[in-house]
Amino acid sequence: MKRYARSVLAVVAVLALLIGGAGISGMPTAAQGSGSLTVLDWAGFDDEQFWIDFKNAHPDVDVTFEMGASDADILAKMMAGSQADVFHPYTGWLQFYVEEGLVEELDTSRLANWDKVPERFKELGQFDGKQYFVPYDWGYSSVLYRTDLAPEAGDSWDAMFDPAYSGHISMWDDGVAAVDVASQVLGLDELNLTEEELDKIQQLWIDQRELNLFYWSGEPELVEAMASGDVWVAYAWQGAYALLRAQGVPVAYANPEEGRHSWVGYYGIRAGTENLDNAYAFLDGKLAEETARNVVETFYYGSANQDVMASIDDPELIDVLAIDDPTVLDRTFFSPAISAEQRDAWAEMWVDVKAS
Amino acid sequence: MTTQTPVAERAGPSAYRAGAGRPTRRRLRLDRNVTFWGLVIPPSVWLALFFLVPLVLIVVISLRPDLRGGVLAGVPPTLDQYQTLLEKPAYMRLFGTSIAMALGVAAAATALAFPIAYFLAFRAGRRAGLFLALLLIPFWTSFLLRVMAWKVMLGSGGVINSFLLSTGLTAEPVAFLLYNRFAVVITLVYVWTPFVALPILAGLQRIDPTLFEAAADLGSTPARRFWRIVLPLSAPGVIAGFFMCFIPTVGEYVTPLLVGGSGGSMYGNLIQDFFTKAANWPLGAAMSLVMLAGTLLFVALAIRLINPRRLVG
Amino acid sequence: MSEPATAQPRAPKRIPVLGGYYALLIALLYLPIVILVIFSLNANQVLAFPLQGFTWQWYAQALANPTAVAAARNSVLVALGSSVVATALATMVAILVARFSFRGKRLLLSLAVLPLIVPYIVLAVALLLLFAALDVNRSLWTVGFAHTVIALPYALLIIVARIGGVSPFLDEASADLGADYVTTLRRVVLPIIAPAILAAWLVAFTASFDEFALALFLAGPDPTLPVFIYGQLRFASRLPMLISLATMVMAGTLTLALVADRLRRRS
Repeated sequence: MKRYARSVLAVVAVLALLIGGAGISGMPTAAQGSGSLTVLDWAGFDDEQFWIDFKNAHPDVDVTFEMGASDADILAKMMAGSQADVFHPYTGWLQFYVEEGLVEELDTSRLANWDKVPERFKELGQFDGKQYFVPYDWGYSSVLYRTDLAPEAGDSWDAMFDPAYSGHISMWDDGVAAVDVASQVLGLDELNLTEEELDKIQQLWIDQRELNLFYWSGEPELVEAMASGDVWVAYAWQGAYALLRAQGVPVAYANPEEGRHSWVGYYGIRAGTENLDNAYAFLDGKLAEETARNVVETFYYGSANQDVMASIDDPELIDVLAIDDPTVLDRTFFSPAISAEQRDAWAEMWVDVKAS
Repeated sequence: MTTQTPVAERAGPSAYRAGAGRPTRRRLRLDRNVTFWGLVIPPSVWLALFFLVPLVLIVVISLRPDLRGGVLAGVPPTLDQYQTLLEKPAYMRLFGTSIAMALGVAAAATALAFPIAYFLAFRAGRRAGLFLALLLIPFWTSFLLRVMAWKVMLGSGGVINSFLLSTGLTAEPVAFLLYNRFAVVITLVYVWTPFVALPILAGLQRIDPTLFEAAADLGSTPARRFWRIVLPLSAPGVIAGFFMCFIPTVGEYVTPLLVGGSGGSMYGNLIQDFFTKAANWPLGAAMSLVMLAGTLLFVALAIRLINPRRLVG
Repeated sequence: MSEPATAQPRAPKRIPVLGGYYALLIALLYLPIVILVIFSLNANQVLAFPLQGFTWQWYAQALANPTAVAAARNSVLVALGSSVVATALATMVAILVARFSFRGKRLLLSLAVLPLIVPYIVLAVALLLLFAALDVNRSLWTVGFAHTVIALPYALLIIVARIGGVSPFLDEASADLGADYVTTLRRVVLPIIAPAILAAWLVAFTASFDEFALALFLAGPDPTLPVFIYGQLRFASRLPMLISLATMVMAGTLTLALVADRLRRRS
């Protein structure tokens, strides 16, 4: 028995050493320095370059990232009681945090870089006249197509439903985006959809499924498939466009006659956070020069810092973000603020499309 | 496990038959009792804490109308989510499809794995350990990246199609190997075969080689020896391998996402959607529990058909 | 390994069908990895033919990224820890199942096998809730705990398949020779099932090393390799760097396996 116990002990000791070493380095050192900060963010944004100004100003703060896979995922985690101090929703989802009392009202005088934000972006983060969110990144959703394989695809969202491209279309795997696009194609008012109209939208996508090769969920998946020639026409953000162009793949990013869609990413502070000062500093850091520039140069996203945007002289970036086209914004739809009922109904509609 | 009664009296299949050596018996009995508790406590506590309690949490969530107020909020339980599921026959159909796919995958993987296990057990000799490791090491490379590599191979501009087009064997790129339900099944069989080989191998290794000699001495043919010795004695391993593949495949969602295309979704994808894309954890939880119950029922029926004792020996 | 068929004179001529089959499967398993190696040396950000020239830059990029290197190390630590614990627990359950009869035996067995059936995403959410309720910070520990739960059933099925064939009479013989029960387990039962334990450990390690769904939810500030890769993969421009990282991990593990085999054969 003794010897057996000893060998068990030995195993346990080795184990403790093994994971212990990892655990100690993995343990948040919340007690020391100037505190900690937990950020609930999309994968990719945990990279240091997207909060480098905050890091440089507050090297002692222990920053932890929680990952969200989608707007719905981030909202679900916040509603389930996530202790993240700062979180990153996009337009169309902001109002839920206000309605559920999950977000702290902001005192913009605590943000040194606030005057660099264009008025339009500020407004989208306001509810009942109060500022709740700070904008960081923005971009487009439109039709991306291979000019050699589908040269005629460019004028309309209809290309996503065109049997001529059967087996070579790829839609983003997202219910809200699906309703956005379908409402435009069918000429419906998406904020006042009747049940019959939503059924019509569902049927449109069920029919489209026969033409659709796959629903993409990560950009690399789409980029590889378009580079290989499997996908000719896709719902895409401008990042995929920029990357494919840089690789010499013949692609164009449409200006559909119905207009482009646009989205803006915001950061909010969780109501009741214990790390309020760090949270403000983090949000302010998001607007600072280097952090703003990195998101433009790495992801080909727009930044909410207008000084940074004005200083961009790379013609590639100017073209991709349509910075030089004053009319593009007039033909751009910012994702509207939907209600919780719409959100759930649309998400369910999309699951049903895939299940049918 | 707290209901455990005097173990020693009932313990052991044959250790207590009348015989010599009383003192040894008594010591053994005491020993076994101590050992029993030493063996039973760690896994029970571990599983209770890290599996049973979380499972209860999922049940609790499935009885909530929504996530409002956080997980531990005191909301009166409701069966709303289960009601919603009853109104969605498409979901249940997809569950049936997933079961059928999992059966196919498990059957194919078991059939393909058996010769591998046989090779490792009887033909690989001293290098069997290395051969076994070689079989598993590819799985330490990111699945995501490996599937991407396959897509590059099989896609329209990939190696295989370039070859087919340049030789004039086909005029159009061949596309059936990607983005459909068939591709999901193929990929899963590919992924599972090496794993299913393991329990089969464990089963084969316990066959006493002298049995072969005895059978040969009695004039049995190799084929007959295979049917009468190898197959029956490896049955527990084969069954274990089959279910080790079948059960998780029912709830699979990553592979359909990667190679299934628009029409290749499985039931697990719906669950995943309700957790990560639709902000509806309660419905996702209810669907998981339905799946859990359905799969368990299915396995229980299957085990009853096969005769349970052979699994445990 | 035994060579049963050679023990008798009328052995038919052996055609290496099985060996060939094994080799074919190995080739299929390693083919995508060969492709990845090729692309990791290709001077193009997108994985597509034709190749565009040779470069080491992706490797340099990966090695210069401290998070990437740390992520690989974290995955090794978590996989080592969780696989050892899972195998130990599985061995305990297997012995209980094969050698003891007690009330709750079926319950324990089903509880240990049940994690197979729960979708990882569900287990991930459930464990996230548990750790939140217990006020435990997420870290490599929490990922490791989760991985023991998912690896346990695999290990158990493998060990049970072997231990079922060990005759209980051996226990009795050992007892008659004066061994106490623990000694019997240690000197008789464990050595016989050792190959299965090793295979079970290998599977447990494999189940953890590339596991993503649970790790994404439960990892704290230190990512494991798949979580790191997922984060970087949101944007396609990072792909080649990740592939070179995966290639290095692969090369490392293959070398280890070959060295271990060489050492074992020499001794």
